[in-house]
Amino acid sequence: MTSHESSKFIGRSMARREDRYLLRGQGQYVDDIAEPAGTLHLAFVMSPHAHARIVSIDTSEALRVPGVVAVLTGEDFASLVAPIRADIEMPTYKHTDRDVLAREKVRFVGEQVAVVLAENKYAAQDAIELVYVDYDILPAVVALEDARRPDAPLVHDHIDNNIIFQGEFSTPDFAEKHAGSKFVIREKIRHGRLAGVPMEPRGCLAVPDRGDSLVFYTATQIPHIVRTGLATHLGLEESCIRVVVPEVGGGFGTKAQLYPEELIAAALCMKHRRPIKWVQDRREELLTNIHARDHLYDLEIGFDANGIVTSLKLEFATNAGAYSSYPFGATLETTGGARMIIGPYKIQNYAYKNYCLTTHTGPAGVYRGVAQPSCFLAIEALMDRIGRKLGIDPLEVRLRNVVTPSDMPWTNVLGVRYDTGDYPACLKRAREVSGYDNFRRAQRADRLETGKYRGIGISNMTEITGTGAPGWRVRGLRSVSGVDSATLRIDPTGKVTVYVSHASAGQGHLTTFAQIAADYLGARIEDVRVIEGDTGSTPFGTGTFASRSAVTGGGAVICAAQKVGDKIRRIAADMLQADAQDISLCEGKAVVAHDPGRFASFQDVAEIAYSIGNGVLPEGEEFGLEASEFYDPPVVTVANAVHIVEVAVDARDGRVSIENYCIVHDCGRVINPMIVDGQIHGGVAQGIGEVLMEEMVYDENGQLVNASLLDYLLPTAMDVPNLQIHHMESPTIDTTGGFKGVGEGGVIGAVPAVANAIADALSGIGANVNSVPLRPAHLLSLIRNAVREEGRAAIEESAY
Amino acid sequence: MELKREHTIQADQSSVWLALNDDEVLKACIPGCESIERTGENVLRATVRIKVGPIGARFSGVVTLSDIDAPNGYRLTFEGQGGAAGFAKGEARVDLRAEDAEVTVLMYETRAQVGGKLAQIGSRLIESVAVKISGEFFESFSKLVGKECVSDVSEPRAAS
Repeated sequence: MTSHESSKFIGRSMARREDRYLLRGQGQYVDDIAEPAGTLHLAFVMSPHAHARIVSIDTSEALRVPGVVAVLTGEDFASLVAPIRADIEMPTYKHTDRDVLAREKVRFVGEQVAVVLAENKYAAQDAIELVYVDYDILPAVVALEDARRPDAPLVHDHIDNNIIFQGEFSTPDFAEKHAGSKFVIREKIRHGRLAGVPMEPRGCLAVPDRGDSLVFYTATQIPHIVRTGLATHLGLEESCIRVVVPEVGGGFGTKAQLYPEELIAAALCMKHRRPIKWVQDRREELLTNIHARDHLYDLEIGFDANGIVTSLKLEFATNAGAYSSYPFGATLETTGGARMIIGPYKIQNYAYKNYCLTTHTGPAGVYRGVAQPSCFLAIEALMDRIGRKLGIDPLEVRLRNVVTPSDMPWTNVLGVRYDTGDYPACLKRAREVSGYDNFRRAQRADRLETGKYRGIGISNMTEITGTGAPGWRVRGLRSVSGVDSATLRIDPTGKVTVYVSHASAGQGHLTTFAQIAADYLGARIEDVRVIEGDTGSTPFGTGTFASRSAVTGGGAVICAAQKVGDKIRRIAADMLQADAQDISLCEGKAVVAHDPGRFASFQDVAEIAYSIGNGVLPEGEEFGLEASEFYDPPVVTVANAVHIVEVAVDARDGRVSIENYCIVHDCGRVINPMIVDGQIHGGVAQGIGEVLMEEMVYDENGQLVNASLLDYLLPTAMDVPNLQIHHMESPTIDTTGGFKGVGEGGVIGAVPAVANAIADALSGIGANVNSVPLRPAHLLSLIRNAVREEGRAAIEESAY
Repeated sequence: MELKREHTIQADQSSVWLALNDDEVLKACIPGCESIERTGENVLRATVRIKVGPIGARFSGVVTLSDIDAPNGYRLTFEGQGGAAGFAKGEARVDLRAEDAEVTVLMYETRAQVGGKLAQIGSRLIESVAVKISGEFFESFSKLVGKECVSDVSEPRAAS
């Protein structure tokens, strides 16, 4: 389309339209929606035990609390809601049906065992304290490392050895090739369990609508999947459900699930025909939202004397917690870590075994980056170890192993296609802008300077983005469509509304999709409005997670804009007595090429399309001026980045400060650089938290001991340094629009870079850093042990 | 959570031992104790109100005494339910040693486990709360036993 070649809006840092109202405090989140008269409130009784048989539940005292309408248990819901089950088609996969309220047994601390329905939330909260549950406590298995032990208690009777599923893969003759590697390094990399912690907790408001219908307001990233999930689990006609997503205060994957509370609220709304509201508190959020990243990588990497990787062997286990979730099951971390670890490298001999293990802990799911922060933590740790072993600079080791532009399009051994990108140039640019070589030249062998160990870390990562239907089928997810869609409609006044199947949780979709639509339609951007997150008005689609909206939604918007644009051209050509191919669309007008005085405005065209006034549609043309298009990217798009980080580890107290942070990022064609930078900022902040402080801690009995933000530490502005961000743009050639996703790249890049910088800082004293989080107490013990082993004097003396 | 402490009480060992087995003394000394009753030989049922940071709850539970070696010590196991606040259970070994005729050293070693809300948002505070509660207990206990030991002094000796 000649008229679209010069982007007018795409590529510009346009101010976010959302901020006009969000920054004024005018955003309407679930809890801000005015409660309709007669709203009932929910509160949940949660299990204090990790594993126990429910002997009895006494609700009589709770029922006497004034305002309490009902107290219900799992048995009451048995006929109302089907157990939660994700449809997973994978060999060896074992389902873990989850009753929306536990029946017979509880399997993690926080599992809901009863719900109180009350006239107000105070009565509901008071009443849950008066529900008496008699438990017969059973032994629990908590740690990932214990799950497969022969004597481990089973979480589900039908799942032997607590293995939900296992997979394996091997390139031809792997054992032989691996045995032939000149050097082999073996290492275990452990990543601790995290929570997503969006600023806004989860919540929903179910409102009965005309007849037997239901309007369901919920803080979700996947409105269309929630609608289908509600219909199938509640046995409702899908057509009677409208899911509406108000503003969402961060999701990060924790809101890309259909949760028991949502099903319960919807079921009670249908049963009582009264509005039902529930908003969780922070403790519930930390206990019951999906957790993530409880991962163990057992690795062997083979390489030659030049540092070229000749083989990689992985045994990978993830802790899925007590149940798999809807719609992703428990698959994504386990398959993701094993499939994505190859990253930007030309690793031709690869074998993995992966295990998804169930334990008596909170269910795990898809948190920003899913397994990519941990698998790049693993592979990037190995790249550094190769460098240390051979005395080759670790950046050079990476340069020697990356896929180069002349290799592209490159298909890796797992079949993932990399169509564009310049990984060596990205590394070299990061080396230059970060001052990497100067840092290395000045760095002492023992890394110790004025009481601090100083190190520099690199992460060189790819990010699988924009996964469509083929990508989800490969990973066995039946309930995750993969396609997204857009309806673009021009109203009789010539204004444009774009209805997109996605749902923003703060990504700025109202701005970026408008930029795309305006460019591809030739509209004025102020004439374009974007609507999403309402299944009543938006067409079906998969939703916003896994860095996919720009690719799948962007592609759909482009297709719809082009289709409507073609119709505008045909009608305008008829009006202006010109050829349709001579009409270009620009600033809301259809203009005859080389004759700018001859034009019709979109409003003129729309009036004809809607038969307003005396104009007549061209022969064969139908009424209306809109198009609905689905888009399914043929392959995943592969974004990439290099992060280089300098840190100082205080020798006396183990505290880490980040002294310099540079990123070179390539997410293909950039729609809005400011929003891309914002995505990277947020991701890096989460990555810094992931390495330096965050961890969900379960004790050996399965008690979660830090279910508050006093004890679950999050990074603040004090912990996040200024980030120097540079962009490269390698548009994809495989997908419409050239976009690659960027939602997760920040966290994926930050985790290995910060961890490697700490590892580099402590490499001078021989400390082996192979796990995160790296909190001060852990680093201090690494330092003390290392220093003791070397027989050095007390650390304080050597440091000062 | 583990707690290991020693307290010196200004009373002879037999008086201390008797007091340790006296429900009324225990009730008076356990901070927040609302009721205590003996439901069987060596089995006590108690209700105690405890506050751990933001969590306040009434715990009702059972304490069982075992390995009784009068007047030298016993083991007690306890299990208390605090409703929505969670639960606590554990055991303690209590040993008495006569420092001299008028002074007894009480040593105890406790291992306790908490669960539910107590663990989730109170873990950070549990140990300091336990130290505080036991401190208050022994302060009251020392006062009470020190005062009463004069009149009771002959009885335990006669009994033993």
